Amino acid sequence: MNGATARISLSSLRAHKRRFAGTFTAVLLGVAFLAGTLVMGDTLKAGFNAMFGSAAAGTDAVVRSADTITTPGESQGIRDSVPTSLVDRIEQLPGVAAAAPSIQGAGQLVGKDGDPVGGAGPPTLAGNWIDDPQLNPYQLAEGRAPQKSGEVVVNRGAAETGGLKLGDTTTLRTPDPVEVTIVGLATFGGADGMAQVTFTGMTQADAEKYLTPEPGQASTISVRAGPGVGQQELVDALNPVLPKGVEAITGQASAAENTDMISGQFLDLFTTFLLVFSGIALLVATFSIHNTFAIVVAQRTRENALLRALGASRRQVVHATLIEAAAVAVLASAAGLLGGIGVAAGLQALFPAIGFPFPEGDLVITILSMVLPLAVGVLVCLGSALLPAVRAGRTAPLAALRESQTDDSGASRRRAVIGGAFGALALGITLVGVLVSPSLVLAGTGAVLALVAFVVLGPVASHRAVRILGGPLDRLRGVTGGLARRNALRSPKRTAATASALMIGVAVVGLFTVFAASLKATMDQTVSRSFAGDVAVSAPAFGAGGSGLSPRLAPALADLPEVENAVGLGRGVAEVNGAGRQLTVTDPAGLARGFDLGTVDGSLTSLGGDGIALARDEADQRGLEVGDTARLAFTDGTQQPFTVRAVFDRSELAGDYVITREAWAPHRTQDSDTLVAVTFKEGVGSDDGRAAVEKAAAVYGGPEVQTREEYAQSAAGGIDMMLTLVYALLALAVLIALLGIANTLTLSVHERTRELGLLRSVGQTRAQLRAMVRWESVLVAAFGTAGGLALGGFLGWILVKASDGASDSAFAFALPPLPLTVVALVGLLAGAVAGLRPARRAARLDVLRAIATE
Amino acid sequence: MSTATGTATAARVVDAVKVYGAGDTAVRALDGVSVDFAAGRFTAIMGPSGSGKSTLMHCAAGLDTLTSGSAFIGGTDLSALDDKRLTLLRRDRVGFVFQAYNLLPTLTVAENITLPIDLAGGRVDQQWIDALVDVVGLGDRLHHRPAELSGGQQQRVAVARAFAGRPEVVFADEPTGNLDSRAGEEVLGLLGRAVRQTDRTVVMVTHDPVAAAHADEVVFLADGRLVDRMAAPTAEKVLDRMKAFDARTTADTSRGGTP
Repeated sequence: MNGATARISLSSLRAHKRRFAGTFTAVLLGVAFLAGTLVMGDTLKAGFNAMFGSAAAGTDAVVRSADTITTPGESQGIRDSVPTSLVDRIEQLPGVAAAAPSIQGAGQLVGKDGDPVGGAGPPTLAGNWIDDPQLNPYQLAEGRAPQKSGEVVVNRGAAETGGLKLGDTTTLRTPDPVEVTIVGLATFGGADGMAQVTFTGMTQADAEKYLTPEPGQASTISVRAGPGVGQQELVDALNPVLPKGVEAITGQASAAENTDMISGQFLDLFTTFLLVFSGIALLVATFSIHNTFAIVVAQRTRENALLRALGASRRQVVHATLIEAAAVAVLASAAGLLGGIGVAAGLQALFPAIGFPFPEGDLVITILSMVLPLAVGVLVCLGSALLPAVRAGRTAPLAALRESQTDDSGASRRRAVIGGAFGALALGITLVGVLVSPSLVLAGTGAVLALVAFVVLGPVASHRAVRILGGPLDRLRGVTGGLARRNALRSPKRTAATASALMIGVAVVGLFTVFAASLKATMDQTVSRSFAGDVAVSAPAFGAGGSGLSPRLAPALADLPEVENAVGLGRGVAEVNGAGRQLTVTDPAGLARGFDLGTVDGSLTSLGGDGIALARDEADQRGLEVGDTARLAFTDGTQQPFTVRAVFDRSELAGDYVITREAWAPHRTQDSDTLVAVTFKEGVGSDDGRAAVEKAAAVYGGPEVQTREEYAQSAAGGIDMMLTLVYALLALAVLIALLGIANTLTLSVHERTRELGLLRSVGQTRAQLRAMVRWESVLVAAFGTAGGLALGGFLGWILVKASDGASDSAFAFALPPLPLTVVALVGLLAGAVAGLRPARRAARLDVLRAIATE
Repeated sequence: MSTATGTATAARVVDAVKVYGAGDTAVRALDGVSVDFAAGRFTAIMGPSGSGKSTLMHCAAGLDTLTSGSAFIGGTDLSALDDKRLTLLRRDRVGFVFQAYNLLPTLTVAENITLPIDLAGGRVDQQWIDALVDVVGLGDRLHHRPAELSGGQQQRVAVARAFAGRPEVVFADEPTGNLDSRAGEEVLGLLGRAVRQTDRTVVMVTHDPVAAAHADEVVFLADGRLVDRMAAPTAEKVLDRMKAFDARTTADTSRGGTP
């Protein structure tokens, strides 16, 4: 690389700034997304760290049960409680300044408007209010501590969400409704709450009464060291005196565990999720950038040929193009980095305003979150420009003398063969991975290959596709439509590359649309197959967060004259033959009436205190059948052999392991049900029955009473919310793709200046010219959208089938016609919008100058 | 300045002035030109580079607007028309043949010929088109793309297109500039036949005396002014006249001109 090469490329960059506006924007947006995600992730993590650190600053050691039982899909194990009596013993140890039991359970406040507060994800916690302010992670901000039964302190964020003020009386679902009066408002580590976790603190007596099965048990014991005693020193002093199965850890270790829990359950997932979407945006940008450079190089054939004729080496021509790309890349990436930091700062300011307590603190900008987006931006841009640059280097000096021509190759036989091979391979691998031997890896490989096949085959398909898609245009729009269609057909490679960006964006949109619809259909199918009751009483938000339902609700409902059967499902955990598993705690006989369990071997009516029922898949996997013995270990350290008394087919709602309440009682923690299935007596109308159930349930905090259809729909409600978020995130990728279309069109318009001038001179009106460019844009978008929907549908099918194969529950595949039609229309409309600016520019063309342009 | 008596005027300009740029760099490309182009005649506009001949044609055809003065197609004053009406006038009443790049590469020969009619959404007079195709001699190439034709063939297609909508006047800007002499001869012959056999009007800008000799009349421009007219031109007569201008122009100090 020498001065001349650099000078040539930089001067050409200056001369054609507009050409690179699209590239610049694409890189900028992608990099900003990436940088914003990284900075926000780091900032949130640091904020939570600081919050937990300050909240637990006064706690030097935590005493807790040593054993945990972890079930699949849960990041945190479940621990047994410790006896409160240990507190006195600990306080007498030298080096201990104070110790307090900490009782933690679930308790959901009911807001001013009668709706429960929170519960749509983050936990709703309740516990005893620890009077020692240094041991209490919450600080009293207003009012006073609870002194008698029924008085509570609530974290300020929760109070605000529920519209509750000091002195207000409301209901706390533990899950049994408890009337409480708010006497104090608390903060957590300086914030109004621990993210969106709600907390209600009550007297120790209340906490023992409502949150533990029996008094004298605490979740953990917080210990503060005396002057001059270090945390580790304290732990070392504590451990020898603790009974077997109880351990002490330092306060720092405990805070770190809490931070890890938030990071692991929420932040990492959130960040990864955003990173995936910024990856998609950058992938789409790659296509747009590559296309821009390919066109620019093609348009510059004569210029490059002249350079070659004057003695420039291939290498110099390649370098000139790459330097140009590098300049754009560095500028755009730097701007993107700043933009990303700005976005993170904006979100930090915005989140508290919409009620999400973003931990306070400065933005955390690590070296990685600066270097990575810059590097990715530059690499994406340079990588995309590499092929066009190499092609520029291959320009023959003689090309300077030839009439410049646009590249209309692309639909070559070789491309068709290679693309076809990829397609066949993708299909084969997918079919094997989905149907023959279900494997996520195979299915994933198939999906990636399918994407490659679509991109390779784009130019081959574009010819036919544009012809078909544009067919109606000739008839509807006459010569203007015909010209638009032919312009779109002109350079299959260019059309395909432009459309590819949109195709990928639409494919991901389609994939999620299809997957969400399939999940809903699955939910529907599950409920209609397995739920045999007339109405369902369910904890809000499908069991996430919230405090669940009172275990007394089901018996109360069963006593109603309208009700034939009411069965509640509770949850428990145990290690079954050494593996942590979720248990369903219920009345098995009622279960068989409220749910359709399919074929049942053995009998569910005689489980008793030492019997267990298993789902067929799980039983097969674990090699258990009716009459076998399974060894269950509970969190309290007890072990008990259970006899398998029944094996049933359908586990979707009932769960894999079922034991009786009687068997669970000795090991229970805070009791709650997640779902109550109610069957009406013969002759009871559904409205009458429902009204009776609602009336009876009102005493238990007024949980939702839903018909089977409503239950299936509400179970799917979270999916829609997720889908909205995904659409919002994908909007950026689609925007980048549209910028790509607009950019390509602008370049094409520039390339066809003389042609447009000729059209204008022989009588094409400005309106006709605009329409022509716009329709070309719509056609390219239509091609991209059609390809994207086909690819997205296929990927969705793979995902659904692979999930089906990988999990026990059956997945249904659904192609939702309405949402997919909307996606298609949005794609077309977006194409029309993308064509607006190029069309306007083309129409502004001065006829005379256009004809005179060389 | 009279033309053949008794004939109607297809196009004319009156006191046409066209100034490019402003202030010190202003160039008077047309400096008060008045000329009539008679209907049913083949007129050539000649002059050295920078004489304003192309500008005159562009303004007379409604491709460009005059700084002052007026231009008429038939009885229509072009200065009174906005861009849209000018476009429609070009589409419906005027035909064009340019030096190069006359055809749309994406359209077939047949589609190129009927393009102005198609843009207007009008009905194609198939008999007339067939006759035109016959005259230009491209009957076997109708479904080819322009890229598959030689330069001369392309220009013949352009001539057919210019006449397809039966325009009142066809303007040709150096139509033979990019062709070898034989192909050029064919195109000029076509233009001449179109005028004489089908009573069309053609106005052609050229700097080639041989091309000008195909016209019924030649008007000479120099330094933005009309300096002479010559009826029944021959290549020799035109060449002699041009040599006289060249001598004068060279004697003059060179002045910036427009191509």
